[in-house]
Amino acid sequence: MTPPAPAAPAVPPAVVPAPAGRIRRVVWWPVRRWLGRGQRVARRVASAAYARWRRSIQVRVVTSTLFISAIVVAILGFFLMQQITTALMDGKTKAALAQLDEGLGSLQRDVGVSNDSGDRLRSAANGLKSRSGPSGLYEVYVRDTTQTYIDGYATNELRAQSVPQRLRDELRSGTTGTRAYTYGKLSYIGHRPSERGLIVAGKTSHYEVYYLFPLVQEQHTLTIVSRSLAGVGIVLVLLLAAIASLVTRQVVIPVRLAAQGAQRLAAGRLEERMRVRGEDDLARLARSFNDMAANLQEKIRELEDLSQVQRQFVSDVSHELRTPLTTIRIAGDMLYDHRDTFDDPAVGRSAELLQSQLERFESLLADLLEISRHDAGAATLDAESLDMRDLVLRTVGDVQGLAERKGSKIVLQLPGEPCMAEVDRRRVERILRNLLVNAVEHGEGEDIVVSVAADRDAVAVTVRDHGVGLKPGEGQMVFDRFWRADPARARTTGGTGLGLSISKEDAQLHGGWLQAWGEPAQGSQFRLSLPRTAGAELRGSPLPLVPPGAGGSRLLFAELEAGD
Amino acid sequence: MRRCLGSPVRWWGNALKGPAAVVTAAALTLCASGCAAMPGGGRVTSVKAQERSEQADESYVRLIPVAPQNNWSPRDIVSGFLSASASFDDDHKVAKEYLANANSWRPGPRPSIAVFADRPDLRLIGTGDDQVTIRLIGTQLGIITTDGQYTALQKNVQADYQVTRNAQHQWRISALPDALGQTMLLNKSDVEQVFRTFNLYYFAPDKHTLVPNGVFLPLVNREDLPQRLVQAVIAGPSSWLRGTVWSAFPRGTKLVGLSLDKDVATVDLSKEAASGNVNQMSAQLAWSLGPLSEIKQWRLRIEGRGVVTPDGKSDVQTFSDWQAYSPDGPASSDHRAYTIGAAGHLSTLNLNSFIPMPVVTNAPGRMVRPAVSPDQHEAAGLSPDGKQLLIADITSNGVPRALRTAKDPEGRFTPPCWDRQGTLWTVETSPGKSMLWKRERGKTLKPVWHWGLDGREIYALQVARDGVRVAVVAKIDENRKQVQLGRIAGSGDRIDVGSFVPVSSELAETDDLSWRDYNTLAVLGRKTRGTQVLPYLMPVDGSAVTSLGVGSLGEPVSIAAVPGGPVLIGTKSSSERLVCHQSSFRDRDSEWACSVAGSDPTYAN
Repeated sequence: MTPPAPAAPAVPPAVVPAPAGRIRRVVWWPVRRWLGRGQRVARRVASAAYARWRRSIQVRVVTSTLFISAIVVAILGFFLMQQITTALMDGKTKAALAQLDEGLGSLQRDVGVSNDSGDRLRSAANGLKSRSGPSGLYEVYVRDTTQTYIDGYATNELRAQSVPQRLRDELRSGTTGTRAYTYGKLSYIGHRPSERGLIVAGKTSHYEVYYLFPLVQEQHTLTIVSRSLAGVGIVLVLLLAAIASLVTRQVVIPVRLAAQGAQRLAAGRLEERMRVRGEDDLARLARSFNDMAANLQEKIRELEDLSQVQRQFVSDVSHELRTPLTTIRIAGDMLYDHRDTFDDPAVGRSAELLQSQLERFESLLADLLEISRHDAGAATLDAESLDMRDLVLRTVGDVQGLAERKGSKIVLQLPGEPCMAEVDRRRVERILRNLLVNAVEHGEGEDIVVSVAADRDAVAVTVRDHGVGLKPGEGQMVFDRFWRADPARARTTGGTGLGLSISKEDAQLHGGWLQAWGEPAQGSQFRLSLPRTAGAELRGSPLPLVPPGAGGSRLLFAELEAGD
Repeated sequence: MRRCLGSPVRWWGNALKGPAAVVTAAALTLCASGCAAMPGGGRVTSVKAQERSEQADESYVRLIPVAPQNNWSPRDIVSGFLSASASFDDDHKVAKEYLANANSWRPGPRPSIAVFADRPDLRLIGTGDDQVTIRLIGTQLGIITTDGQYTALQKNVQADYQVTRNAQHQWRISALPDALGQTMLLNKSDVEQVFRTFNLYYFAPDKHTLVPNGVFLPLVNREDLPQRLVQAVIAGPSSWLRGTVWSAFPRGTKLVGLSLDKDVATVDLSKEAASGNVNQMSAQLAWSLGPLSEIKQWRLRIEGRGVVTPDGKSDVQTFSDWQAYSPDGPASSDHRAYTIGAAGHLSTLNLNSFIPMPVVTNAPGRMVRPAVSPDQHEAAGLSPDGKQLLIADITSNGVPRALRTAKDPEGRFTPPCWDRQGTLWTVETSPGKSMLWKRERGKTLKPVWHWGLDGREIYALQVARDGVRVAVVAKIDENRKQVQLGRIAGSGDRIDVGSFVPVSSELAETDDLSWRDYNTLAVLGRKTRGTQVLPYLMPVDGSAVTSLGVGSLGEPVSIAAVPGGPVLIGTKSSSERLVCHQSSFRDRDSEWACSVAGSDPTYAN
């Protein structure tokens, strides 16, 4: 029956951290921004450096030379320093031991083996020290192991603690004549800082003598040597890098010139040649490059001439055929008009046949002329600002009859707002008509969907049919001249085999793309993408080439740009 | 032959092939490696000698004390304490470990010292379980007071140390002897090891000439020495010169700090110094710090503010700025030497040609051992038997007249001397007693009020150029004539000449002396009895006596010296009396040249 505990304020006051947090944020924000900026700059520099590294042989060679020679010089310098230090310390130790021997000898002479040796030991220490003079070459610490109340004598400011215990132990366990040395830190009374030193020790009867040599001079020498080594190393590495840079320059510059020449050659400037200097390998490269360029130029010119002749021939033939064709046409028309009057119905049939084939021949001739105009570069763009929807509607109206005959229904998907673009009305209508007629012909009576879309830069029209579709690889071939999906198929309709070629040429004249997608039994889709401004470069299309929901898993194989 | 000469190119080309190329390469390698070798020849480079090599720069030896060990007996503890007292490191840190209460004993940086001849005896008396008394019995030679003055005071000392067990059952000294107080017991060799003499400089009563005051200072740490010296200068003169000399540092002045940057020291004084004469303080510091080779220049600061001396040049002072205050008086190269010529006339002695020129042409041979007053108007001397003090007026070519005749039948006078104020000093002495006479300029000859050596026979007396110190040759026991240094205190009629202390014990016997400079006496003496009398240089601060010159001198009788001039020695032999000088007086070891016929050379200084 305990009463329920009073409800504790479960929620701690959560007000306090907020200002702190804000303050922290206020403080952190600029810092973080700075950090972010720094990071960005660093990243940019790094990526620029990486780009240079990737693109320039010279940078690569110089960098690796720098790196490798720095490592080699560092290793060499390390070993050299080691050698010098060892040599220096060997000399010092040798001299110190000689000094110790002399000191031990004089100590033995001065104090002998007498027991009452306090003062004599003291003067002996002074004598040992005074031989080095006031230059501070070494300090002396002398101990008489038989003395109870005095731990020996040290010269100048030296503390007895400078002698490490390990050396004392070594000497204590040794016999007369023991000599030992070690390195340690010499400490002094007063303000003098402790310094590293060499400590040699010797024992004669019950005296222990320690000579403590500060290694300041040696340290100084080593510092000077190491500094000069470092300086020489840096200079050496830089020199190597400079040499590497110079050498690679001599190789890289002609290679770069060759690359530039090749680029210009590729860009069509066939008269480009490399300068040949000297007789070395690079000169040979230049010479063969020049030979190659000359041969290429010659071949290309020959080919150009040939194709010019052919085009001219086609054009001429087309023109020449026109005149007789006109005459034949008049005669054919007349025969056709009077076909009912022929007694023999077979003759009437022939007249009809003649008429249809004459029409076909005419359109073929017109297409040939058109394509030869394109080949000759004589086609001009007569651009005006038009609403693509109007063009589509009009073309669909033209094709409506044929579609109904084939049993296909044309479905339009037009946007609500106008899709204005600078286009040549005649050419775009021709393209659209071609696409629609193609779709109706191969549509197998299924629905044909025409979509229009526009974005900031481009407008696009797609024509989708659900016919037999295209086999892999055919998406490219549909634009070839006189290409047929099924060679055995009768040419019942007006297709000349040049329609799509002309359409593609027209699209290219606008700076646009004409692309095809198709899959067997899935139908096909053609997409016309045009820049809104005549002559502008096209970066993308507002409509997808692959219709949504179809062939998603398969890669489209007709992603061919008009420029290719 | 023709072919060889005709086609040298081909010959050279052929030679380079094969072994020749190898030889060439080896030679080139040798040349290159030769660059790294030590030089094996080259021109001679002369190197300047060390500027000054002073006593303070010599290395010293410190005793390393032992801390009390666990199982030591009370006697060990006292012995260890006495030994450890000689180590001044870290303010006697180790010695204090022997005490039950480390704070009860504060020797400080300048403790008073009782100097013992040897290690004193220790006896255990009053045994107890937790407390014993150790009695120390020994012979004290003298004491060094806290002002650094050594006073010989031989006596037997007996002192009791209380030693008790502490909580860790270790024996520790609980009470130091009451008789000794804070005084430290050291034996003679410990004192010689720890203490050094340093000259502190104070002003003579004329307040323009500095007087050196040699004091004992413990040389604990060479780095602290400048600081210790400045503190000692500020603290004032030792009892030997107290009341006689005058310090420019106002009472209460303290050294705030002394820092050393390369060879420029900065001396920072407390605000009391502001009332003192900056020039005089600087001069005292300059001369006192002079022996320290690490200080070449210094700045004086009072309360952290720089003081500009002298005459507003810059605040960095050098030693040479204060040469005018030298204890030797103003430096001069015009030394006027006099001698008694061969004919017995007082003559000047040209120091270039060494030819005597008589200045007093009357009464030849009446006066010997002359001394010429600083203004060169008067000459004092002795009669040839030494029983009469004579004085002659040089300017009037006067006949020497007797100032005083010795009273005692065995009595005689020491050669007279003039100080720089023109006061004439001489001692009338006979075996076992002596009396000092002085004659101020234009006054009569009077005995001084107090003469500290009135019980001894005196052979020579020379007042130093600072007018405060006086050096004498006194007979201290049979056949032992010692150089002693005293000081002139007091003024007016109450002149006290006393406090004589021995200068050096290196010479067994001394005959005559003369002040070479403020720190050095030129003396005639012998190192051991029976050897020849030779000239020596004797520093008054107790450093080593050095011999002066080489070569034969005959029998030296008198000596005269002057700062920056040659030492002149009057000698006699069976046939003649000659004045000798060194062939090159700046070289201490140059040869004596005895060519001037004459005797008793002297300088008018």
